[in-house]
Amino acid sequence: MRRRSEPRRLLEEPRRFLSQDQCEALAQRAMRFATGGGDTALYIDTWWSGEMRWGRNRVTLGSDRRNNQLTIRRSIHEAAASVRTNQIDDVSIQSAIQAAERALAYHPTSPEDIKDPAVHFDYLSPAIWSDRTFALGASERAAAARALIEPAEQAGMLSAGYIEVRGAGRALIRSNGEPLYAPYTQAQCSMTVRDPQGTGSGWAGLSSYDWGRIDGAALAQRALQKCLASRNPVGIEPGRYTVILEPQAVHDLVQYVVRNFDLRDIAEGGVHPFALRRDFSKLGLKVADSRVTISHDPMHPDLGVVPFTPSGEPVRPVTWIDHGVLTTLAYNREYALTKLYDNLGYPNTLSYQMSGGETSVEEMIATTKRGLLVTRFSNVSYVDPVSLLLTGVTRDGLWLIENGKISKAVKNLRFTESPLFVLNSIEQLGRPERVFSPGVPAIVPPLKVKDFSFTALIDAI
Amino acid sequence: MTVSRRDFLKAGTGAALLAATPRWLAARSLREPSLAPPITDPDVKPLALLALDAARSAGATYADVRLTHTWSRSFEPFNAIIQDAEEMAVGVRALVNGYWGFASGPYWTPDEMARLGREAVAHAKANALGKARVVELGKIRVVADGHWVTPVKIDPFTVSIDEVLDYLHGLQVYTESAYPGVSANVGAGFQRQEKAFASTEGTFVTQTLYRTDAGFGISYDNQQLRTDPRQPIMLPSSLLGSAARGWEYIREAPLREEIPILMARLEKDWRLPIKPVEVGRYDVVLDAAGVANLLAGTIVAATELDRALGYEANAGGTSWLNRPLAMLGTEPVGAPLLTVTGDRSTPGALATVKWDDEGVEPEPFTLVKDGILADFQTTREGAGWLAEYYTKHGKPVRSHGCANAPSALHATMEHPPNVAITPGRADVRLDDLVKDLDAGILVTNLTATTDFQHVNGESHSGNFYEIKRGKKVARIDGAGILFRAPNLWKSLTALGGARSLEWHGAAAVKGEPARQSAFSIGAVPARFKDVTIIDRTRKA
Repeated sequence: MRRRSEPRRLLEEPRRFLSQDQCEALAQRAMRFATGGGDTALYIDTWWSGEMRWGRNRVTLGSDRRNNQLTIRRSIHEAAASVRTNQIDDVSIQSAIQAAERALAYHPTSPEDIKDPAVHFDYLSPAIWSDRTFALGASERAAAARALIEPAEQAGMLSAGYIEVRGAGRALIRSNGEPLYAPYTQAQCSMTVRDPQGTGSGWAGLSSYDWGRIDGAALAQRALQKCLASRNPVGIEPGRYTVILEPQAVHDLVQYVVRNFDLRDIAEGGVHPFALRRDFSKLGLKVADSRVTISHDPMHPDLGVVPFTPSGEPVRPVTWIDHGVLTTLAYNREYALTKLYDNLGYPNTLSYQMSGGETSVEEMIATTKRGLLVTRFSNVSYVDPVSLLLTGVTRDGLWLIENGKISKAVKNLRFTESPLFVLNSIEQLGRPERVFSPGVPAIVPPLKVKDFSFTALIDAI
Repeated sequence: MTVSRRDFLKAGTGAALLAATPRWLAARSLREPSLAPPITDPDVKPLALLALDAARSAGATYADVRLTHTWSRSFEPFNAIIQDAEEMAVGVRALVNGYWGFASGPYWTPDEMARLGREAVAHAKANALGKARVVELGKIRVVADGHWVTPVKIDPFTVSIDEVLDYLHGLQVYTESAYPGVSANVGAGFQRQEKAFASTEGTFVTQTLYRTDAGFGISYDNQQLRTDPRQPIMLPSSLLGSAARGWEYIREAPLREEIPILMARLEKDWRLPIKPVEVGRYDVVLDAAGVANLLAGTIVAATELDRALGYEANAGGTSWLNRPLAMLGTEPVGAPLLTVTGDRSTPGALATVKWDDEGVEPEPFTLVKDGILADFQTTREGAGWLAEYYTKHGKPVRSHGCANAPSALHATMEHPPNVAITPGRADVRLDDLVKDLDAGILVTNLTATTDFQHVNGESHSGNFYEIKRGKKVARIDGAGILFRAPNLWKSLTALGGARSLEWHGAAAVKGEPARQSAFSIGAVPARFKDVTIIDRTRKA
């Protein structure tokens, strides 16, 4: 991997996380402690995080945290073992290496080590570093929090929220491969505005590698408006409804589909949402509405991720579902080696983009005779991982639509539904936008979906 | 000079980052089991005080510092995976004009102590430019020099890897060879955490806490015996789980005696006919594990004071007990036979400490008394939020000792203590509750998922049995319970006695950034009337 020019602020002392040179020097020291031959690999995540949290309209904590997470992996012949530490002095590193070598003695053969992974790859250079994020200091964060609280407090509401900016480096340094290092930043901002009597609640949030791409003022307005408009909800009967899902609500469901693009070996083993029958996956078959394409391009300006995996595989552009047809499933290196006679796993970073359409949420509402508008889902869990049946609850704003208009705020509902059913019951799609998904960026459209299954009324607000 | 961690205590950050010791020097300490100074080392206190001095000079009205050193080791014998991990951390918290600042990092060096002290104050000051905020810290008994160790018989880190692997593997081989067709699952993990706490009020205490996680369970491996390949009958041992104990927790558990009992149950279970669920309202008996899970997901979460007041609104959510001062002493949360207590001194329980992460020595307290909300879980700041209630009732404004953090990398916040249901007076066990059930449902190992106010929930997993005239007559497929927490606890009609009390490990995640805490729940089997039984997989 070509050495990247270091971001300007990284050069300032004291460093808030380990640089590429420091990671490489650390790895060189570690490798000298290895005994018995074989290979040594260090996977390092070294980070600084600046945080600001508030509740009941007052800042409750501002913090600055730093840490290193080192995973040291030793492999000899076909066995491998790893150990974790956050210390970087010689004694700690040597002790960690010894622990890994001790564990190695017990390990059976691992097919992952059959072939030498040291092949030259071309790694992408996604947009994942922002000086603006790294430069957002404690006083700027405090000022931002105050500005976000202000509108809620003036309206007599209670705001609780969180801002986090992070600067980090991720490294993979192997005795048998080229050193990899990528500096990256992450930023997130989210808030919940509640009525002091607890009769209404609104939420808004966004994440990006770049603090400058998060419009805090717009989020504050949105959370406040949702809170005000959601007050004093009335109960409605659970049942099947046409739903208009805002992008965040779509993400809360579709991320479960994306997680299951993993592990082709399981898919072909027969018990998996993307298994057709034993030993056959649904690759090549239609699994969603033809208007649905789910893909990931790490070079997309809003979908950047660290361009290598913990085992050094390059992150590549991928299309998982193409116009409704399942086209790719991820697999690990073991699968590649044993089934495909290939050296390379196919990673799933969980970052994704879902195709959309041109219908605005307003138009979706205007064309709905009776339905529900959903802000987001919460407390989602699997009912049946095989059919991808989920349960969870709506949160922070649910409204009844009657004859093309929002008629009233309604009480939250529990749903029992599969996101695969959702992707096959789409009536309209809106323009995709970025959602709150810290560390794993996602771009998702709003959807109008028919026959969405709500199974119980809940009285939590 | 040998660069060891001990020297780090005296060196600067620069040395920590650049330490490149020639190998022969470091090799001297090759076989020393403990490379960092133990937490009781006399050098630790002066190091901690450097952070407090820096915070005070920078303008803190109050500051505290925590140092943690955590080792963990996990065993997965089936794949022969042994993984060690080590983490050192230091975190400083400072208070300026009612605003908190926190700074943490991985290096135990004098330079870092001073930097973190200054940094924490800088954060507090940046926040303090906002509108006024008042923090009143609850009273504390200052302990100038205290040390405590979780009482364990055998420190698991002194037991050889061979011994642990042999023992776990032996259990598996024994079970699978004695009962062909049965698979046994075993696993274990150990943690030792040393921690020091010092505050500007003069407290300095250190603790060494142990924790062991272990699991043992059996299931039939024979495809033909299962009705549904996705839901094999799995029977976990009730003897293992998570506890603040050492290697003896696993070594002394009479697992070999329990295996035939589990086997007998397993065989009886798979011979039962399988019925589809008939939705409706039933009298339901839950075992202690299920009651523990429900308690953790409802009353324990709902009585976290920060959650109840809305400080967690943007994370895990709020609570249905959302007006603490109005509800304390009057709000019914369960039947009169329900009393729930909090306690961080129960031997072997996961949240047990001598001092919490604010230096408070916790005392037992009552959360629910005879079905009425009696108190909330508090920290020192939280106790101040309830001052009006405590003062009116002649109680001290004092923290219940619920400040906690997984390590010094995280700021402390309120986390659940160990919580227990007070057992019924009669000597009743699970079998007795089932025997008394003329028609109803028994659920074992129930787990549940709730909403963001911990009020409405649905079961997530569990084994459901139809009971007729006190006997199991069928397994019920696909059943679940749907509940509203206060209603469920009000429908409680019977509790197991003291001899049926079991402790179960539990974990809770809260905060931003999210962190997990562990605690134990003491629970007894219980019977509830008119519980809503649903078909979990049925859509609307």
